[in-house]
Formats: sequence, C-alpha cells, structure tokens
Amino acid sequence: MTRIRRLLIPLLLLLSLAAFAATSPFEGRWHLDRTRSTALDGWHEWDLVIGIAGSRVSLQHDMKWGRTNFSATNTVDTAAPSDAPAFFRVEQRHMALYPAKGGTTAVRAAWLDAGRTLRVEADTPIEISQGHATMRLYYEYRLIEGDNTLVLIELHSTRPQPLVYRFTRVTETSK
Amino acid sequence: MKPTPPPVGPVSDRPGQSKTGPTVLLRRIIFCLFLATGAFAAEPSRSAYVMRWDGDWKVAGGLPEKLLLVSLQGLANRSAPQLYVVHPRDFQWEITEPLFEFYQRKHGVKFAEIKTAEEALTIFARHAKGYVVWDPAVPASMNVALTIAGLDDALVVTAGQIPQVEKHGLKPIDDLRGRYTGQTDAQIYADAVTRYWARCTHDCIMLMGGHAGAVRQPAVADWGVRQKMFFHDLSGNPARHPEEVALAQKLLSELKPGAIVFGWHSYGKDTEEQWTTLLSGYGLKMEGLHNLPNLSFNCQFGFTPGFKFTNNHHVARDAKLSAEAKVYLSFVQSDSIGIGVWTKPGRGKLPFAWQVTMNWTKFSPAALEYFHESATPNDYFIGGLSGPGYMYPNHIPADRFPLLMKEATGMMTILDEHVMEIMDNSAADGNVGNADLTKETVDRYYAAFPNVLGFINGYGPARTRDLRDTRPMISYDYYIDPRRPRAEVAADLSELIALNATRPYFLLVHVRESNDVNSLVEIVKQLDGPTEVVPLDVFLKLAASKKTYTTRYQDPDDPKHFKGYK
Repeated sequence: MTRIRRLLIPLLLLLSLAAFAATSPFEGRWHLDRTRSTALDGWHEWDLVIGIAGSRVSLQHDMKWGRTNFSATNTVDTAAPSDAPAFFRVEQRHMALYPAKGGTTAVRAAWLDAGRTLRVEADTPIEISQGHATMRLYYEYRLIEGDNTLVLIELHSTRPQPLVYRFTRVTETSK
Repeated sequence: MKPTPPPVGPVSDRPGQSKTGPTVLLRRIIFCLFLATGAFAAEPSRSAYVMRWDGDWKVAGGLPEKLLLVSLQGLANRSAPQLYVVHPRDFQWEITEPLFEFYQRKHGVKFAEIKTAEEALTIFARHAKGYVVWDPAVPASMNVALTIAGLDDALVVTAGQIPQVEKHGLKPIDDLRGRYTGQTDAQIYADAVTRYWARCTHDCIMLMGGHAGAVRQPAVADWGVRQKMFFHDLSGNPARHPEEVALAQKLLSELKPGAIVFGWHSYGKDTEEQWTTLLSGYGLKMEGLHNLPNLSFNCQFGFTPGFKFTNNHHVARDAKLSAEAKVYLSFVQSDSIGIGVWTKPGRGKLPFAWQVTMNWTKFSPAALEYFHESATPNDYFIGGLSGPGYMYPNHIPADRFPLLMKEATGMMTILDEHVMEIMDNSAADGNVGNADLTKETVDRYYAAFPNVLGFINGYGPARTRDLRDTRPMISYDYYIDPRRPRAEVAADLSELIALNATRPYFLLVHVRESNDVNSLVEIVKQLDGPTEVVPLDVFLKLAASKKTYTTRYQDPDDPKHFKGYK
C-alpha cells in the first residue's frame, strides 16, 4: 500500500499539473493596454504570448517600434532554476543599458496563489558605461478575476519604483 | 510692371481691426507715396515687408497660396531682403517672431505688413517673369515647378491661381499639367534632371520632402528658388525605391565637393537615417529642415557691427579639474537651436549646452546673433552636428574627412566653441539602437580636433567612449523623450545612477527639442545620491580627470538597423 501511495502521489501531482497546464487561463495572446500601464520607452506596442508545457512556461514578447517588429521568447521552468543565454528584458530603450555580450541570466520561476500568479526572478548581466553590472529582476504575472486581464508587476533591484503593465486578452473578436 | 495699390477693403469692415483707421483713398495715397520715396530700393537693408501666415498647409487648403508666396519671396529677396514671414507660435521653427523683433531692434529694419497674397503680388510681382503651373494631383510636379521658378523667375501656381497672377501681368512660362500624369517619381525626376539639372547650382540641392500627402510644408523653398537649386524628394530607401536612390546618387555625385543638401527627407518615403547616410557617403552636409523659413531674407544680414561671439565658458582650455565622488550630470540639446527648448519656460535655471547649427554663420547670421544675445550664463554653445553640417561620420569618405573638419574647426572658432558634438544614426532606428562610432572614426576626430575640450556622441543613448590626452569622448547615457512622464524619467536616471555605482559617474543626458527646462529642474530634485548638474565644459574636464567609464567603439557584432548602401 505504501509503495502504491508513493507512486500515486507524484502521479497525481503530475496529472494535476498537466491538467492545469492544459486548461491554464494564462495561455494565449495578451495585448498591452498602454493607457493603464507604466509608459513604455522606445516601444510602441507589446503583445505577450504565453504558452505552458508541463513545468515550462514560454513568455513570447512581440514588440513594435515604428515599423520595426521584434520578437523574443523567454522560457522559464517552474520546476527548477535555469540559465538563459539570451534573456529578453523589455528595457527602457533610451537608457544606455544593454544585455551583456555573452552573458547568461539565472532564472527562477514558480506558480503562486493556486496558479493565479506566475513569479519569475532573474539576475541578468547588463553592459553599462562603467563596464558591467547585474540587475536583479522580479516579475509577477497576475491573472485578474474573469481571466481577461493580466497584470505584470516588474521590480528592478536598481529602480526606485515598480513598472506595472496591464494586458488584455486577445480574442478572435478583439483582433 | 508697375505696382498698383493693394485692393484693401474698408478698415472698419475687417474683423479685429481699428474702426477709426485711414480711409481707403488715404491708405492708397500713403501707399503710393511710400513706394514713390524709393525707400525699398535705396535702403534695402532698412525697409522690408512682413507677412503673418497661418498654420494651414493642407494641399487642398492653404498650400497653393503659400507656395505661390514662397516662390514670390525667393524672387523678391534675390537682390535685397524685402519679404519676411512670421509663422504662428506652434510652427516648428519658433524663432520667426523673436527674429522679426531682432531685425527691427538690432538692424533697424522698418517692416510694413502685407495682409494678403494679392497685396504681395501687387508689390512684388515685378520680380517674376511669369508663372509655372503645377498639378496638386502629381505631388512631384510641385518640386519640378519650384526648380523652374528658380531658373526662370517664375511664380508657382495651380490652375485656379492663373487668373490671379495674370491680373498682375504675368505670362505662362511652363505648364506641368498632364506632363507627368501616371509617371513614377523616379520617371518625373529623371525627366527634370534632363531638362533642368545642368542649369541649376551645383553648390547645393533642395531635398524638398518632409510632410507628405495631404499636408506639405515647403517653407524653405524661398531659399531654393533664390539660389536656383534643383528641387526633389527622391527616396533614400533602397528597399522600396531603388530607382529613386540611384537617381539621388547621381545627383549627389555631381554636386561640388562640400556641397550642402538643404531641406529634409520625405516622411512618406524613407527615414532621416537613410538620407543622411546617403549624403554622408559623398562627403556632403545636410541642413534641415524642409520648413526652415526665411533663409532668402536671413542670408542678407551679417552680424551687427562690433558683435563677436563670446561663449559662456566655465573653464579654460588648459584648466585641470578634479572629479569628486559624486554623480555629474550634464544636459545637451542638439535638435537645431532654432527649435524647441530655447523658447520653452525655464531656460537659464540649469546649465545647458546647445548644439549650434554652425552653417548659419553663412546664411543666417542674425539668427545666431539673436541666440547668443539672448543666452543666459547657463547657456553654453557647442559645435556640430558631426562636422560643418549634419553628417554621419562613419560614412564620410576618409579622404574628405580632414577638409570637412577643417571647415568645422573654422566655424567653431568664429562661434567660440570648444566642444564638438557627433551623431551617427546610420545604424540606429530613430532615437533608439546603434549610434556608435567605429574606432577609425574616433581616430579621425581626435586627429582633426586637437584643441577641443572633448567630444560628445549620440542622439539616443550610445556607448562610444574614450579618453586621449585630456580630451574625453562621452556618449549620452540617457535621452529624454518629451512624452515620457517626468516621474519615469527621474526613475530612469536614478536607475542609471544605481547601476553605475562607481563614483564619479558621468551621466550625459540628451534633451529632446520639445522638453522644457522647468520640468528638468523638478526631475533633478527627485534624483537619489550625491548629484550635481554641471556645464558641459566642466563635465568634460571632470571626465578627463578620472576615467571611470570604459573605452568602447562600435562593435561589428552590435545589431544594426540599417547597414547602409554598400
């Protein structure tokens, strides 16, 4: 019996995670509501496309600046820390801060609040005018009641105030 | 052709005007006496006319009349400065009113106001030999007509304006209606090159672009007409308009060495970066914008007697300063001094460096004198942009670089400037992206400017930095977007200060034209840590004393938005 329970519990856990992933309201395309968000700097549009596969969550950033389109995806793992060689940060592009060439970002992620919040922490190397520095980033992706609004709260270890972005779900009718 | 009195209506019928003004007859008598005195012919530099324009530049609205008048202005101002235009306060060049006052005060110009196009034609139509008709349905025909206007002393009109100019005795010189219908801009300009280019000046050319579509603002056209330039708005975009680019390259290659491209790129075809890259490759200089008004008037006034540029230097060239353990900030505005911040509230409250359009020493000296005269002790002038005009130095041919920079040095000497500002946005995307200089370019600047205090670089942020002997080269660490909320600007600056934790930290800030200094004062109050805003010359001297910044040039691996034409 004990042996069966030992097998059963992880199995149930996996099944529940799989069920969560399959039905997670996080998934899909989200469009930044600029009027209700911290001002972007150097970007005009931002779509966030979230995909979930097991413990891995992909955060695809579709950015626009004028006629320039740029897309980058950060994949985080809620089961274990990971190293990202090309971690994308939605930077304030009028600041002389650049991803350090060849730098690797340490990333940790976890589901909180019964799966209603995704927390991502990252230590990312930055090129600055004095050389290099590390910026510690803290993100919370929070689903708001009704599942059609996603709030992203972003903290920097080096910034005196948070950045708060509000996204709305992109549906067939809202396109 | 003799001028006839302007057909003015009863003063009392005109809204907003005196109800007790002179009668029509009396006004006509006064006007005729005024002309009969020959005051304008005898003292062209002391008497002139002024018009006050509205802001309607719609092709289907106010453009045709303004185009007629701007071609008239170019012809009228050929032999003497006779017609000046004051634009509304919200026009991009905000200095037309202050400069109007400056001409009266410092040059003793007595202006008589012209209220209508009809009145302007009455006074100045004699300077034209005829008219050329353009077709608003074929936008490029406007530029062909302007070329003809300069070459053949013609006024530029639409079909609807023909009766108006014929009333003043003008005959048709050319009619472009139908000639270019259905043709591409490349075809139209190729034809214009065949017909007119050989007769045009090769000292300069008019890139008559800017606003495109329903609104156009060819306010600089008076200058092109006066100087007999070739007008065009050929594209600098090789992906979209390769034929136009090829034709533009032919024209640029046939200009004289060191020639100037006046005007601005077409907002409907390409980017500022593409066109500036293109002309820099020929060692030419850009002088914007498409709506820079009154050059045909301004070019005829020198500096007032005894005037000498004296900059507000805060340190001697050979001074040695020692930086303390704090954050030094310095603010710079580079979008041509005639635009924006200068006339905004608060100027003088903070040390501020202003990049001077140095070529104005040649064709708009009064404007430069006006700026210097109205400078506060906190206003400090610097040279630029990149050389004796707006250019991208990474693309200037190596054999052209020394001569161009010698010209820049000469103008900086006249203007008493000790700092050179550099900008190369050829690989950037507007005010973001790659604005760095190659090491070869940096080497050339250090060789060409042995006597400057230092160099600054960028538009948006950049990361080219160096220090050789006592001359630092510092790039902007921050660009203030005027639309960015001030609290976020303060947070951005605080973040840069937190990340660049070694002291001293030298934080160079580029202030976009439409910011105002009052808001910067408030931002500075919100910054954390030991900060001090210093004048740019002090900033560079301090940066020379303790190098806490890295040496860096454009890295071939850095992303490039536009790779150029080769």
